[in-house]
Amino acid sequence: MSLVIDIHTHPAFFEAINADEERLHLRQTCLGLYKTGAAPLAHIFNQMKYAGIDRLGLLPLDLTTTHGVELVSNAEIHHLVSLAPEKFIGFASVDPRRKDAVEVLEYAFGELKLSGLKLHPAKQKFYPMDEGLDAVYACCLRHNKPILFHAGISLQPDAPSQYARPEHFEAVALRYPRLRMCLGHFGWPWVVETAALLLKYPNVYADTGLLYFDSAREFYQHVFTRTLGQHWVDRSLRHQVLFGSNNPRFEQIRMVEALHTLGWRASTLELVLGGNALEFLG
Amino acid sequence: MYTLEKITFLTEQYNQLIPITQAVRDVAARSQIRSGWVGVVTLHTTTGILVNERVECLEVDIQEALERLVPEDHPYMHARILPSYGSTAGNPTGHLKSMLTGNHCLFPLHEGEMVMGEAQEIYFCEFDGPARRTVVISVLGE
Repeated sequence: MSLVIDIHTHPAFFEAINADEERLHLRQTCLGLYKTGAAPLAHIFNQMKYAGIDRLGLLPLDLTTTHGVELVSNAEIHHLVSLAPEKFIGFASVDPRRKDAVEVLEYAFGELKLSGLKLHPAKQKFYPMDEGLDAVYACCLRHNKPILFHAGISLQPDAPSQYARPEHFEAVALRYPRLRMCLGHFGWPWVVETAALLLKYPNVYADTGLLYFDSAREFYQHVFTRTLGQHWVDRSLRHQVLFGSNNPRFEQIRMVEALHTLGWRASTLELVLGGNALEFLG
Repeated sequence: MYTLEKITFLTEQYNQLIPITQAVRDVAARSQIRSGWVGVVTLHTTTGILVNERVECLEVDIQEALERLVPEDHPYMHARILPSYGSTAGNPTGHLKSMLTGNHCLFPLHEGEMVMGEAQEIYFCEFDGPARRTVVISVLGE
């Protein structure tokens, strides 16, 4: 088995960036993860080892104009990556309504050497096709960095899904055919819309960070064999689906296990678990 | 007299039996209590405290028996988003195995020594790891 990458994790509760109790509490309430406590890196590594995961994509969240805070900053992501560069892939975040958004991003890519951009249309309250985003997309293209978008419903408070419907991403895919973009959570519940976008646009990816009902095994079976056709990923979308867990909201270990129960070819599973992430990251 | 100590550690497996007798004896010795009771309690609901013989074959049998009684693949109700947590409850097997093993054990302390059968080992049982766990050991006596 080649490298296994969980592209979609939130390090907001890593102990190494939670020395301040107030900041931890703010993260709990703002993310809607009310009982998640700080976890030492040794525990994160134990989880990774048990699940057979080699690398984690770490996603920050800049809410400067909507909530007055960088909930997890690019500098904190840079710090975490410096603690375990062989295990962590650091993404940048920027509130696209910030006047200095492009400067922030230039610094994140140029100086902090972060590997991609995470945007959260629902929480950051913007539509992906807003013209104000063009400078941000152009910056990603200049640096050859992908964007991981939150897509679909968000369980965070104050994060209306109207901004993150998969259909809103089509204009971006069309306007920027060289921009690699991933729709987080497969855009659930609009997973068929997401599948349609993947079918048409080779620069669009989707991750598996969806576990909104049932156990991981049951929910993946439901989504990937009944809501979507049983063979859709294996036959048509195998190069565009990335493993992402959305940990700590969802169940990283059981989600990895559940992917093995979907009847995909071994080569498809290998792509989903890591190969596609490498392509996505460029 | 009464003393209480907490030991915190990281578990590494999803299901794991961890012998902790020596750690419990150490706490009892530090208490300097000569006669009384030693209690061992886990602070979690997906872990257990178990007393049994420490041989590999029994450790395997115990794990396999628990898996037969509480299989992973079953339509448990505790498999959903918990609004009070904001995250998924995907660990019904951990809770049910914890129910089977119980959360504590108790041993007499006599002349400064824990009174244990020759074959007895105290295990901390992890049923939803890897995780950070805490066990409380209290000594009550004189």
